[in-house]
Amino acid sequence: MIGIQPSQSTARDLLHPEVLAGLKNLDLVARSVVEGFLIGLHRSPTFGFSQEFAEYRAYAEGDDPRFIDWNVYARTEKTYIKRFLGDTNSHLMILLDASASMGFGGPPVSKLRYGQFLAASLSFLAARQHDAVGCMIFDEEVRDYRPPSSRAGKLQGILHCIDSAEAAVGTRFDKPFDKFREQVSRRGLVAVISDFYCDAENLLAGVRPLAWHGQDVVLFQVLDKQELDPEFKNNVLLEDLETGKAVEVAPQFMREAYPERIRAHVDSLKTAAAGIGADHVLVNTSDSLDDALRNYLLFRQRRK
Amino acid sequence: MGFLAPLFLIGALAVALPIWLHRLQTQSSDRQPFSSAMLLETTEERVHLQKKLKYLVLLALRIALLLMIAFAFAKPFIDRPPTLLAAGDAGTHLIVVDTSVSMNRAGVFDQALEVADQAVGDAPSGALLQVLSADDSLHIGSNLSADTTDHRAALSRLNVSALRLDFGAVMTAVDRLAESLPPPVTLHVISDFQASAMPVRFADVVPSRVTDFVPHVVGTGAPFNWSVEYVRETAEGLDVGLLGYGDRERVADVELLVNDVVVETRGLSETGPLVLRFTDLPFEEGNNRVQVRVNTDDDLAADNESFHVVVNEPPASVPLITLNRGGLPVTYLSAALESNSGQNYVVEPMVIGEFDSRILGRYRWALIDDIGSIDAGLEDALIDYLQGGGNLLAFAGERAASATTLPLSGHQLSGASVGIGANEFLSPGQIDTGHPVLSQTEGWHTVNISRSVPIEEQADDQVLIRLGNNEPFLIERKIGAGRLLLVLNGLDNRWNDMPVRPVFVSFVIEAASYLSGASEISRTYVTGASLPLSLIGSASGQVVDPDGNTVLSLADTTRAQQINLDKPGFYEVYTPQDNTLVAANIDPRESQLVTITQDLLERWQDATARLDGITAGQSDIVEAEPLELWHWLLLLLAVVFIAESILGNAYLAPLAKANR
Repeated sequence: MIGIQPSQSTARDLLHPEVLAGLKNLDLVARSVVEGFLIGLHRSPTFGFSQEFAEYRAYAEGDDPRFIDWNVYARTEKTYIKRFLGDTNSHLMILLDASASMGFGGPPVSKLRYGQFLAASLSFLAARQHDAVGCMIFDEEVRDYRPPSSRAGKLQGILHCIDSAEAAVGTRFDKPFDKFREQVSRRGLVAVISDFYCDAENLLAGVRPLAWHGQDVVLFQVLDKQELDPEFKNNVLLEDLETGKAVEVAPQFMREAYPERIRAHVDSLKTAAAGIGADHVLVNTSDSLDDALRNYLLFRQRRK
Repeated sequence: MGFLAPLFLIGALAVALPIWLHRLQTQSSDRQPFSSAMLLETTEERVHLQKKLKYLVLLALRIALLLMIAFAFAKPFIDRPPTLLAAGDAGTHLIVVDTSVSMNRAGVFDQALEVADQAVGDAPSGALLQVLSADDSLHIGSNLSADTTDHRAALSRLNVSALRLDFGAVMTAVDRLAESLPPPVTLHVISDFQASAMPVRFADVVPSRVTDFVPHVVGTGAPFNWSVEYVRETAEGLDVGLLGYGDRERVADVELLVNDVVVETRGLSETGPLVLRFTDLPFEEGNNRVQVRVNTDDDLAADNESFHVVVNEPPASVPLITLNRGGLPVTYLSAALESNSGQNYVVEPMVIGEFDSRILGRYRWALIDDIGSIDAGLEDALIDYLQGGGNLLAFAGERAASATTLPLSGHQLSGASVGIGANEFLSPGQIDTGHPVLSQTEGWHTVNISRSVPIEEQADDQVLIRLGNNEPFLIERKIGAGRLLLVLNGLDNRWNDMPVRPVFVSFVIEAASYLSGASEISRTYVTGASLPLSLIGSASGQVVDPDGNTVLSLADTTRAQQINLDKPGFYEVYTPQDNTLVAANIDPRESQLVTITQDLLERWQDATARLDGITAGQSDIVEAEPLELWHWLLLLLAVVFIAESILGNAYLAPLAKANR
C-alpha cells in the first residue's frame, strides 16, 4: 500500500498548473511543486526521502566528494561515503519534446509549458535524492543536451535548459534516442515527456534500444483537455501545427469518434510501452502535477 | 488601350480595402490550430470549402466593383482605325492616273488607262481598291471597294485636264488619304513622270503611310514638242518666245491671231528657243485677244496655242472734284497723270454744285483738290462711293485749313493752319516706303513745306508720311470697301513746292495705279490659277469661260470670291463698271516632256518603303480614333453591383439567422 496521503490544501494548491503559470521562475516552480508534493507525503523510509543515516561505504572513484565523511577521515585517514536511506545514487535523464504540437493547449498552460513544469519538478526531486540529473530537449533534432550530473550547481543549468525550450517544428524519436544512447552508457531512469503523436511502432523503434540497453523508461504523455475531450459546436477547420495540413471536421465527429480514437491511441502506446517494460503515464494539462510525480516515485520505487 | 484620365487609376488602390477586410474575416473564421491531424478525419460535408469559395467570389466581385469604378473614372479607350472597312492581309490599292496636260501626247493616256485597268485586275483578291486622278490636285474617281466593276467604270470616265501635275501636292494628298485606309496601302501611279512635275524637295514626294509605291511609266521615248513660252508687249508690238524640245528637226508654222484674225504667219525650220517679233499690229480699242498658234505635228498639241490680252484703251477719265475748274490743282494733277507712259488718264474737273454725284459710280477712283470744300450733300455721296468700293485721292487746301472738322475723314484740326515761318520749311521725315504708293517714289526730302494742316490722329489712320515735326502729311483711311488717300497739304505753291517736284509726278501716278487697282490685275494666268473677283471690282457680274459657258452667274459672283481658270483661252468678266478679259494658258512646265531618271524612280520607291516602315506604328498612335469604354464599364459595373449585393446578402442571411 502506497503511503501517500493528501495534506495541507494550501501547499497542494501550488501543484495546479494555473497557479504555476503565474510563476515566471522555473526553479521556483520546481521547488514549489516538490515541496508542496512532499508535504503531502508521510515520511516513509521506503520512499528514500529520509535523511537518516544508513551506512558508510568506502569512497570509490566517481563518487561525489561532497558526501565524504571528513570526521571519519580525520579519525581513520580513510575516505568513507556516508549513505542515507533514500539515496539510490541513480541517474535520471529527462527527454522533453519541444515540437510544434507541444505548443498546443491552454489556457492556462500549453502542453510544452506543462511538460517544462514536470521536467523541472522531476529534476528538482531527483536532485533532492542526490540522483544525477540530465536533460535533452528535442524535436526533429536534439536541440539541447545536458549530461546527467549530481553536482548541486548543475541543477540550475538543467532548469535553464528546460526553461529555454520553445515549440518549433515536427517530432522524431529515433534521432534523439540514438543520440541519447550514444551519450549515456550508464543505466538509469529515462523520463520521456511528449504528446506522442506518432505511431506506436515508431515510438517503440526508438524506445526499445533504450530498454535493451538497461534503461528504465517512463513515458509521460502530455495531452490537453481539448485533445482528450474536444468541444466544437460548428464545423471547424483544424490545422496541424507541425505539418500545416488543414482538416475540416464536423462537431459530431469530434464529439463521438475522436475521443474514441484518442483513447485507442493512448491505449496502444500504453500497450506498446508495457511490451518493452516501460511505463506510460497519461498527463492532462488541466490536472495538478502531483499525479505525475506520484507516478514517477512509484516507478522509481518499482525499479529499485 | 489607354486612359484619357490615368490619374484616376490611383483609385484602384481601394481594392486593398476589401482584400484587407476579407483577410480579417478569413483569419477570424473557424480555422483553428490543432496539435495534430493524425487522428482527425475530414467531414464529408465540405462546408468550409464552400464558405471559402463563397468568400472568394464575393471578394472578386468587390474588387471588380472598385476596379471598374476606378477604370470608369480613368476613361479607358481603345485605338481603332477611323474606317470600319476590313481589308485583311490584301490591304488597299490606290490607283492614281495622271490626267495632266502632258498626258495628251498621242496614245499616252489610252496606254495609261490600259495599265490602270491591268492594275485593277491584278489586285489581290479581297483587296480594297480606289481609282484617283491627279493633276494640280487629287480627285476621287471611285469609292473604296473590292468591286472592280466600279473602278473600271471610273477609269472610263477619266479625261485629260488642262492642268499641271505636281507630284509634291499629289503625294501629300495621297498621304493624307492613306491615313484613313486599311493598311498596307499599295500606291500605283500611272504617269509620264515628267521631270518638271517633281517638287524642289525630294522628301515631298515620299508618302509616309504608303507601304508599296508602284510606278507605271507611260509615254516613254524621245519627245518632240513645240510650245509658246511667252507673249510680251513691246512699244512696237509683240515679242513671242518659242521653245522646241527634242532632237528631231521638224518644220512648223507660227500664226499670230489678233481678235481671232490671222494677222501674220511665219515658218520655223529648227527647234530651240526662238523669239519672234511682230510689229504694227492692228489692235482695236479696248481688250484685244491675241493668240499665237504653232501648227506642227509634235507630240503634244495641247500647248501649241497661247493666249494673251492686249489692252488698247483710250486714256481713262478721272473726275477731279474742285471749286475752280481752272485752278492750279487741275493743272498740276492733269500734267502728272497725262505723263504716265502706261495707263493714260484724262482729268475731268467737276465743279462742286454743278455735277450729279451719282455719276461717280462710273469711276474706279476720283480726285479732290481741297477736302474742305465738300458740302454735306456731296460728303454723303462720297461716303456712299467709298463704301461701295470707290477710292479717293484728296488734298487739304485753304478751306480744309479753315474748318474745324475735315469732311469724309472726320479728323479734328488741332489748330488753324499753321504758318511755320516766313523763312522756315519742313520736309517729310518718316516715309512708309513699304506702301505701294510710296515704294517707287523718291525725292520726298526735296519738298519744302511752309504751311500744314495739323489734325488729331485717329485710331484707324495709317500714316504714310510724317513731317519733320512729326505731324501727319499723308494718311490712308479705309472706309467701307474703298480707300481714302489724304494729303494734309494743298496743291498751292504758297504752301509747298511739292507740285513742281519730280516726286509729285511719280506719287500721283503710283497713287492712280494703286487706287484704280490696275497694279493688282494681271491679264494672263496659267490654268489652275484663281482669279480674285475683288480685283476687277465686281460686286456682281458674270464670268464666261473660253467655251462660251457662263461660269458664274450674277448671283454667284456676289458670293464667290474667286473663279478657277481651268481651261486655256479667254475668260470674260462682265461687271456693271467694266468688262474685263483675261487669258489662261497651259503651264509651260507641262510642255517639258522629259521624264525623270530610272535611278530617281528607284530611289523614290525605296524611300517610300523605308519611310512607311518607320512611321507605320506612329500613324496608328497619332491618328487613331479612340473608342471610349467607360459607358460599357458603367453597365458592367451595375451588373457586378447587383451580383455582389445578391451574393453578399446570401452570405449574410445564415449569419443573421445564427445570431438570432
